Amino acid sequence: MRPEFASDANHTILQLDDVGKTFRSDAGADVTALASVDLTIRQGEFVTLVGATGCGKTTLLDLAAGITEPSAGHLRRGSGVRLGQSVAYVFQHYTLFPWRTTLTNVAFGLQMRGIGRRQARTCAMELLARVGLAGFEKGRPHELSGGMRQRAAIAQALAIEPVLLLMDEPFGAVDDATRAELQRMLVDLWQDRGMTILFVTHNIDEAILLGTRVVVFGGPPGRVVRQFDIDLPRPRDRNMKPFTNLFLDVRQALAGGLD
Amino acid sequence: METAKHTENRSGRLISLLTAAAPLLVLLLVWQLAAVRLGRPWIFPPVTRVLEQLAHPLRTHYASGSLLGNTSVSLLRVLIGFVLAAVVGISLGVLMGSARFVRRTVEPLIEILRPLCPIAWLPFAIAVFKLRTVPQLFGLAYTRTVWDQVQLGMIFVIFVGGFFPILTNTLDGVTGVRRSYVLLARTLGASPAQVFRHVYLPAAMPQILTGLRQGLGLCWFVIIAAEMMIGSDSGIGYLLMYAADNAAMDLVVAAMFIIGIVGASLNFLMRRVMHRFVSWKGREV
Repeated sequence: MRPEFASDANHTILQLDDVGKTFRSDAGADVTALASVDLTIRQGEFVTLVGATGCGKTTLLDLAAGITEPSAGHLRRGSGVRLGQSVAYVFQHYTLFPWRTTLTNVAFGLQMRGIGRRQARTCAMELLARVGLAGFEKGRPHELSGGMRQRAAIAQALAIEPVLLLMDEPFGAVDDATRAELQRMLVDLWQDRGMTILFVTHNIDEAILLGTRVVVFGGPPGRVVRQFDIDLPRPRDRNMKPFTNLFLDVRQALAGGLD
Repeated sequence: METAKHTENRSGRLISLLTAAAPLLVLLLVWQLAAVRLGRPWIFPPVTRVLEQLAHPLRTHYASGSLLGNTSVSLLRVLIGFVLAAVVGISLGVLMGSARFVRRTVEPLIEILRPLCPIAWLPFAIAVFKLRTVPQLFGLAYTRTVWDQVQLGMIFVIFVGGFFPILTNTLDGVTGVRRSYVLLARTLGASPAQVFRHVYLPAAMPQILTGLRQGLGLCWFVIIAAEMMIGSDSGIGYLLMYAADNAAMDLVVAAMFIIGIVGASLNFLMRRVMHRFVSWKGREV
């Protein structure tokens, strides 16, 4: 546990004030990906961002990760949220280095920090066991199934002990049963480690099942349409009335946000 | 059961071996019959006489040395030139691929020089380097070893032959690295130098190895041609030319056979290396 966060539950991890992002397309035209986004994420939250494909969700994650800079407005990261140190990003595709084994993929961040081979290996083995990949450490990414690759990618991200974990539709390409397992595992990890998660999905069900807060995103250009605090007890049951009510509300907000 | 299956496997392998060898055996048979019937071995030597030459690789042919000796001279020249081409080609390719300024400066020159046949460099290289050898470069006059046959001009031409495919493949490999891998490494804390060492280099490795394989093959082509030129006095290409001048066509064909086998072996070797080190290529997910 990091001492600076342990006592302060309202510590701000990420704050966006009136943030806009405009790209210059290959044809030379300006494309507005994000328009005036206000969003605050606090320590320990599991924020799920739900929206249609192409509404700028990934751009928002890229801004949070420092891969791109805002063209308008302010983006502030809390103390202790440092790029390349405590912000991990799980992409949807190409989440692992194909020339490395599962073990050395997970150990990558530790290796970059100059942590000794043996210690990095021990740490990576523990993480692999934690995500249910014990015994697969010698395999290459192409030898793993889609679900196993996402498990390994999560372990790779956790290795740097992130304060903020960004995830871009990480379970978008796996079957339903595998997705349910991965979702359960992710909630467990989040509860164990006290990290903050910003999770992008286009799946309403997934957003409500995982998040402490669902941010409905509309566009293009991307903007926050509505936010829902989710205080349903975990493990959450999709068939309970409050869940299905929320589902309808989110769906309605989402439909209203489509232009 | 076990034994039956084993035998079946073995006979299957025998059949596929025979299928592969059959065209060669037929060719050799027809060749032998035709050559014996023609009866002019100085134009069209029988297989048996070629095999007889191959069976005596250490036999000295007048002043020109033996099949084995000349082959090792050629191989040594190729390996030195190839290693130089690999070191310079990979370094420059990686540099050009990662620094736009370097690429813009160097690429026009590269594009002018690249289409030039390496053999065209030979007279120039011999004029510049005279017939200086590698030992002479280190101040040794005469070592009485195979090294005395390794002239700088030859090395230069081999270098030119191997350099361009290695350079262009490395450049393609480095510029084709997926941005996702670079971003992934950066978010996991890699410094620019670490991204270079742990992302660009391994990600470009399949194409670097392809460049090395093409480069080595081309080096072997170039050395044979260079050794057949006037001014050469050793190497398997020289022996081939020398034998042709002396109407020793059995020796010519034996030399051709060796050139082919060595070329195929180099290619096979490089393929094995590739298979071993970059088995992930084409299976990125």
